[in-house]
Amino acid sequence: MNIYRLVFIFMPVVIYMALIWAPPAAILGDASRILYFHVPVAWVSIVAFLVAGINSIILLVSEKNRREREFMAHNSAVAGMVFIILALITGSIWAKLSWGSYWNWDPRETSIVILMLIYIAYLSLYSSLKDNPNRGSISAVYLIIAMITMPFLVFIIPRIYPSLHPDTIINQERKIHLEAAMRITLFASIVTFTLLYGYIYRLMNRISALEIKAEEKHYDI
Amino acid sequence: MHNKYSLNVNKISKRFGRQLLFRDISFSLVTGDSFFITGPNGSGKSTMLQIVAGLQKSTSGDVSFFMDEKKIPEDERFRHFGFASPAMNPYDTLTAVENIMFASSGIKKENIDEMLNLFGLYPHREKHVGIYSSGMKQRLRIILSMINSPGILLLDEPSSNLDSEGKDIVFSAIEKLREKTLVIIATNEHDEMKLCHKGIDIAEQNY
Amino acid sequence: MQSRIIKNLRKDFLIEFRNRSALNISFAFAGITTLSVSLACGGASLSSQVNAVLLWVIIFFSGMSGLSHIFIREEEEKTALFLSLCSDPENIYLSKLLFNIILFACITALVTPLYLFFMQVVPVYILYFISTVAAGSLAVSSITTILGAMVAKAESRGSLFTVISFPVMIPVLWISIKLTADSIEGGAPPEVRSILFLLAFSGVIISVSYLVFKFIWTEN
Repeated sequence: MNIYRLVFIFMPVVIYMALIWAPPAAILGDASRILYFHVPVAWVSIVAFLVAGINSIILLVSEKNRREREFMAHNSAVAGMVFIILALITGSIWAKLSWGSYWNWDPRETSIVILMLIYIAYLSLYSSLKDNPNRGSISAVYLIIAMITMPFLVFIIPRIYPSLHPDTIINQERKIHLEAAMRITLFASIVTFTLLYGYIYRLMNRISALEIKAEEKHYDI
Repeated sequence: MHNKYSLNVNKISKRFGRQLLFRDISFSLVTGDSFFITGPNGSGKSTMLQIVAGLQKSTSGDVSFFMDEKKIPEDERFRHFGFASPAMNPYDTLTAVENIMFASSGIKKENIDEMLNLFGLYPHREKHVGIYSSGMKQRLRIILSMINSPGILLLDEPSSNLDSEGKDIVFSAIEKLREKTLVIIATNEHDEMKLCHKGIDIAEQNY
Repeated sequence: MQSRIIKNLRKDFLIEFRNRSALNISFAFAGITTLSVSLACGGASLSSQVNAVLLWVIIFFSGMSGLSHIFIREEEEKTALFLSLCSDPENIYLSKLLFNIILFACITALVTPLYLFFMQVVPVYILYFISTVAAGSLAVSSITTILGAMVAKAESRGSLFTVISFPVMIPVLWISIKLTADSIEGGAPPEVRSILFLLAFSGVIISVSYLVFKFIWTEN
C-alpha cells in the first residue's frame, strides 16, 4: 500500500488552498502565499538529509543489503538537492518581497546554504568514487561526519550572529500572525510536500533495486 | 609458529559490475597443505588470492580462518598470514632493512640479516628500494611475506621477474617451510605449481 | 598498539623527510600566501575582524594544500596494500592523525608569527590568541585527516578535498575567527568556554573517525 500516492490528491488541494482559499496576510498581501511553498520545501530538504544520514549509519552498521542502502542514501541526497535549490529560490523571492533584498545572510539563510554545500560535497564525493567498490561506505562516512557537525553548527549560530550581524533581521514569519486558515494551509502543505518527497524517493529506490536485480539475475548470483 | 591453521573457502564468487570473474569456488586447507590457484590471464587468480587474504570483498560466499580450531576474527587475519604480490609495493624511499623492520613484529637484527643474505640482498640492504631492479624488489617482497614466520603464506606469482638463481632461492625457501605452513600460490608457471600438492583451475570451475 | 603507531609515524616522517618535496611545497604555499596577503594589503591598518578573517583564510588554504598528502601518497605510490598488511586500520588512522597534527602545528607556527609581523598586529590577549590558533588548528587537522583518507580513495583529488572539507569546517572557522578577532581587539574578556568548544569538536571528530576509519580504508 503506497501511502505516498496520496500526493496525487493532496497536491492539487493544497495548491488551491495556498493560492486561493487561504486569506492574504496582513502586510504582504498575496505575496505571502510563497510561505506555503518555501517552508515545506526547506523542511523536506532537511528531512532528505536526515534520511540519507540514517541510511548511511544503517549501511555501516548492518552487513545486509549494502548495495541497496548505498543507493537509498544517494537517492535521498539527490532529491534533497533539488528541494534545497527550490528552498533557496523561494526563500530569496520571499526575502525580496519582505525586506527588499534577495539575500541577507541571516541565520536561517546561512544554514540552508551550509546544508546545500554539504549536499554538493556529498554528491561530488559520490560521483568521484564511481569505480570504487567501497563507494557506499566512504560516502556514508562523509554523511555521518557532516551530521556530527550539525549540532555544533546549531550551537554556535546564535553566538556568532550577535557580533557579526548586529542588526540581524528577524524573520518575519515569527511576527506574522497566522490565522487558523493559514496555519491549516501551511500544515497541509508541509504534509503534502513530504508525501511528494516520499513518492519520489520510493520511486528512485525501486528503480535502483531493479537495476541491482538486473545485474545479479544475469549471473544468478 | 607451530600453530595448526585451517582455511575454509566456501562458494566464493566475484563479479565486477556486469562482468563475472568466477563463481562458486570452494576448498579447504590445513597447515602442511600447499595449494595452487591457476588459470589463464585475467581469470581472477590474483583477485581470488586477495579475497582469501581479506584485501578484497567477494560478491558472495565466505572465507574463514581457524587457528587451533578457534575462528580468527576478520580484523585479526592480517597478523597470521604473509602475502606477496606484484601489486604490493614496499616503500621506495626506505631501504630494504627499514622496510623489513617496518613490516616485522619484533624480529631480531640477526634474523633480518640472515634473510637478506639468503635472498642475495645483503650487499644492497642500505640502498633505497626505489633503485632496486624488478628482480631485487621481488626478492624483497618474498622476504617481507616470510619475515614474521606466518602460519599461512599467500603468494601471487612468486617467481615473477626473477632470474634462475632467484627462482632457486625462492623455491627452496618455500620447500623449507611447506611442512609447517599453509601455502597458497596463484600462478601460471608449472614450476610453481609443482611445489604444491594440489590445486584448482579457476577458469574451469565456470563450466 | 603504541609501538605500531610509533613505527608508522616514524616511517612517515622518514619518508617525508627523505623526499622533502611535499613538505617543502606545503610550507612554501603557507609562506607565500601569507606574504601575498600582506603585500596586497599594502601596509593598511585593518580591523581586528578583517585580520582574523584573513589569518584563518590563509590557515585554511594552507591546510587544504598539505593535509591530504599523507594518504594520497600511499595511494599514488601503491604502498597502501603493504601498509594494510603491516598494521590494523585503527593504528594507521592514529599515526596519520598524529602526523597531520604535528605537520599542521608547524605550518601554523610559521604562518601566524609571519602574519602578525607583516600586518603589524599585536593581539591584546596573547595567550588567548595562541590558544585559539592552537585549538583551531587541531580541529582543522582532525577533520582533514579523515577527509583526506576519503579523498585518497577517489579520483580528481585536488579540488574535491577543498569541496568536501569546507562545509564541515565552517563551525571551526566561525568560532576561531570570532575568538581571534576578540583576542586581537581586546574588548571582551577571554572565553575559555569557546576554546573548550573547539577542543570538544576535535574530540568528537577524532573519536568518530577512529571508529569508522576501517570502512574507508578496507573494502567492505
